Amino acid sequence: MTNQTDKQWAIETQDLDIYYSDFRAVKNVSLKIEPKKITSIIGPSGCGKSTVLRSFNRMNDFIPGSRVTGGIFFQGQNIYDPRIDPVQVRQRIGMVFQKPNPFPKSIYENVAWGARINNYKENLNDLVEECLVKSALWGEVKDLLQRPALSLSGGQQQRLCIARALAVKPEIILMDEPCSALDPIATLKIEDLMRELSAQYTIIIVTHNMQQAGRASDFTAYFTMDTDRAGSMIEYGVTSQVFTNPTHKSTEDYISGRFG
Amino acid sequence: MSRENLMLQIHQIQDEMLVMGSLVEQATMKSIESLKKRDKKMAVEVYNADRKINEKRYAIENSVLILIATQQPLAHDLRLLAALLEVSAEIERMGDYAKGIAKVVVNLGDFDIPVPIKEIDQMATLALSMLHRALGAFIIEDGETAKSIPAEDDKVDEMYNKVQRLLVNLMIEKPQNIDHANLLMWVAHNLERMGDRVSNICERTIFVTTGELVEIESKKKEIKL
Amino acid sequence: MKNPLNLVSTTTYGRDLNLEQRQKKATIWKALFRLSTLVGVVALAILIISIVNQAFGLVAIEDTNDRNDFISTSIKEVTKTELIQLIETNLSTNRVRTLDREEPLVERSRHDLMALVETEVFKQRIVDSYSLFGSIFTPNTFRDQVAKKHPEAIVEFKSWFTPQFLQESMSKTPELAGIRTALFGSLFLILITISVAFPLGVSAAIYLEEYARQNTWLSRVIQTNIDNLAGVPSIIYGILGLTIFVRAFEPITSGRLFGYEGANGRTILAAGLTMALLILPILITNAQEAIRAVPNSLRQASYGLGATQWQTIWYHVLPYALPGILTGTILAISRALGETAPLIIVGAATYITKDPSGLFSNFTAIPIQIYNWTTRPQQEFRNIAAVAILVLMFMLLSMNAVAILWRNKIQNKR
Repeated sequence: MTNQTDKQWAIETQDLDIYYSDFRAVKNVSLKIEPKKITSIIGPSGCGKSTVLRSFNRMNDFIPGSRVTGGIFFQGQNIYDPRIDPVQVRQRIGMVFQKPNPFPKSIYENVAWGARINNYKENLNDLVEECLVKSALWGEVKDLLQRPALSLSGGQQQRLCIARALAVKPEIILMDEPCSALDPIATLKIEDLMRELSAQYTIIIVTHNMQQAGRASDFTAYFTMDTDRAGSMIEYGVTSQVFTNPTHKSTEDYISGRFG
Repeated sequence: MSRENLMLQIHQIQDEMLVMGSLVEQATMKSIESLKKRDKKMAVEVYNADRKINEKRYAIENSVLILIATQQPLAHDLRLLAALLEVSAEIERMGDYAKGIAKVVVNLGDFDIPVPIKEIDQMATLALSMLHRALGAFIIEDGETAKSIPAEDDKVDEMYNKVQRLLVNLMIEKPQNIDHANLLMWVAHNLERMGDRVSNICERTIFVTTGELVEIESKKKEIKL
Repeated sequence: MKNPLNLVSTTTYGRDLNLEQRQKKATIWKALFRLSTLVGVVALAILIISIVNQAFGLVAIEDTNDRNDFISTSIKEVTKTELIQLIETNLSTNRVRTLDREEPLVERSRHDLMALVETEVFKQRIVDSYSLFGSIFTPNTFRDQVAKKHPEAIVEFKSWFTPQFLQESMSKTPELAGIRTALFGSLFLILITISVAFPLGVSAAIYLEEYARQNTWLSRVIQTNIDNLAGVPSIIYGILGLTIFVRAFEPITSGRLFGYEGANGRTILAAGLTMALLILPILITNAQEAIRAVPNSLRQASYGLGATQWQTIWYHVLPYALPGILTGTILAISRALGETAPLIIVGAATYITKDPSGLFSNFTAIPIQIYNWTTRPQQEFRNIAAVAILVLMFMLLSMNAVAILWRNKIQNKR
């Protein structure tokens, strides 16, 4: 990672520290996310990888006592600037969660809802179709749009959640262990989908499954817990490099299963 | 279920391997050509071009290792990637043989010796044809073809013996020829080894298709007391 | 029972696992649990049987004055003018004047006049009644008893539950009394209660669960208080309602502020508001439970799409919590419907023949009627009280059924 200042990163963090009340959960993270690529964040449990991901669209705001120091820059703006409305941030930076969590509504409504509440002016039917096509679900559900979303399989539900996120036209999609509740086949489908989406969107994925990080991502950031239990970023680089010849001993131990 | 990314990258490596194969074919043909014409300049070109083949091999090896590290290939995919490592090594060695022939041409200098070029040319043509078809079979994973190719190696061996006899006769006829005839012996030897390497490639093709590591050896090669 | 198979490794546990004793203990506990359930079922059955037992049975009817002295045909064929004539000629002028003052005779309904003739002129009385089981198994005991005491009386089987009972208003004669006024009173009361308590309760629950900071000193005090209020005796709410709604807010609850000629604050509005106060804590705690049960993933999904907190609550939290909130509301309605004590304190009328006509009218309610009838000395009032209980139970069950159906419909839409 070179330190070009003129390059437009998708997200750039500077000396990011995240606290839960007095506990420092994450420290000193300076990370530059390449636009329109897939970046994965891996690391052992409790290393703060999810916390970092959630700070990118201010989902941590809902946890009482959480606060952030340092900066997270999105298009040159610090998203933690008090003048910025987090709702706006979340519209630009979408999120897909660990467990598929479609709304208990119809498939159509799941995709259309986000656009509707954000005051979408154009044809909703077109938008729903476009998003379902992009999330590789259109073929399976095009005749079932009024069926309840919860009647879909887990993998389909997760792709619906991706379609739902696409409908609000984000630039970045955060994925918090999107496949941990899915079977291997559904997992691979989501990974293929991520690859296709990365042509248009920046994707950041947190995963427990380092094989998934290897398979699906272009860049990998390895986080681990320090002795003070604060998570920090140990290594960040091109995925193939990190997986075949990591720079740090700790990374090597983790990816080769010798952690601890 | 497709695993598009993995398939795409495996295909890219296979393409690289085909390019490498054709580089070796070219190098071999050019080295024989230089022997025919006794063109040292051409031989030097062949000799130096081998670096490119070696680089290709390292690139392939690297790509295969990255794929194994990041994509968790299993079953057929894993066999294919393991075979790619092996096959690229075999092709690289064949490139070295071509390089060896080019070196002989340089070492022969302008020394006047009747080269049994017709037989050598035939050997080269046969070995390269085997290589060409073996690589084709490897790509399309045609186990039947792969099984049939090694039999043709007997023909190469036969011609190797013929060239050997010719060169020995040459040495008996004219002892001054011994050094240079010996060099030419190496040319024939290298071409004969190429046939063996092709057999190894065919074994890998069968490994990819069936998962079995078998030695395809023609009966004639067994030594009897 | 000896176990013929021994599968247990003798080295680790020895030969004896003490299985027999353990299984015996399990059987004993199971029997105990079954017994407890049985006790509940039996208690419930006894309750229903005793009510039904009162609602039907043999009665002895007797005219004090021989009706043939007054009319030649059946009373049902007598015209309204003749009825008035009968009353005016046979009752004392004083009594006629009193009746006329209550409600002019000419304006009274035919049924009312008939009842007057039966009770005041013929002085017809049900002189005795008998329980359902007695009537079925030992009717002769009753007949003998009646023959001894009231030789003139006719014994016949009577279902105290009649269509008339639902249609008629109050009467001093048990066989003519009905429950209509109380039924409308109860329904109207519940309507006022729910329309006040439901929005208040749900809003408070939303605020406490979604907006208020959890685990602060203040929120914990509020929470504890709400939980405790749900257990406060209802009579205390009655006193509260009396002080606040009946007395302090009299200009409002009597309707005088709105130009209505109300006598005092003892109106259905005051009672409804009191009831609303009473069920508010139940409603709030139930709604809170329902809102707390909404999976957090749903909220996160909504926020993740750039929804505001209000949009998240309105479009996702509330619809998801609605079935749970409805269940709580059903419970609260049942509680309010059966509550008697606060109504007595707030001042529900025990004898009223006029249906509630607006927010500021006097009223009565079914439990008040039941309470009132059961305190009367005559056996016959106890019979109609039993029927009123049946009506109340039916009302509760049908309201619950409607709410449950509605809830299931919402849940099935998912």
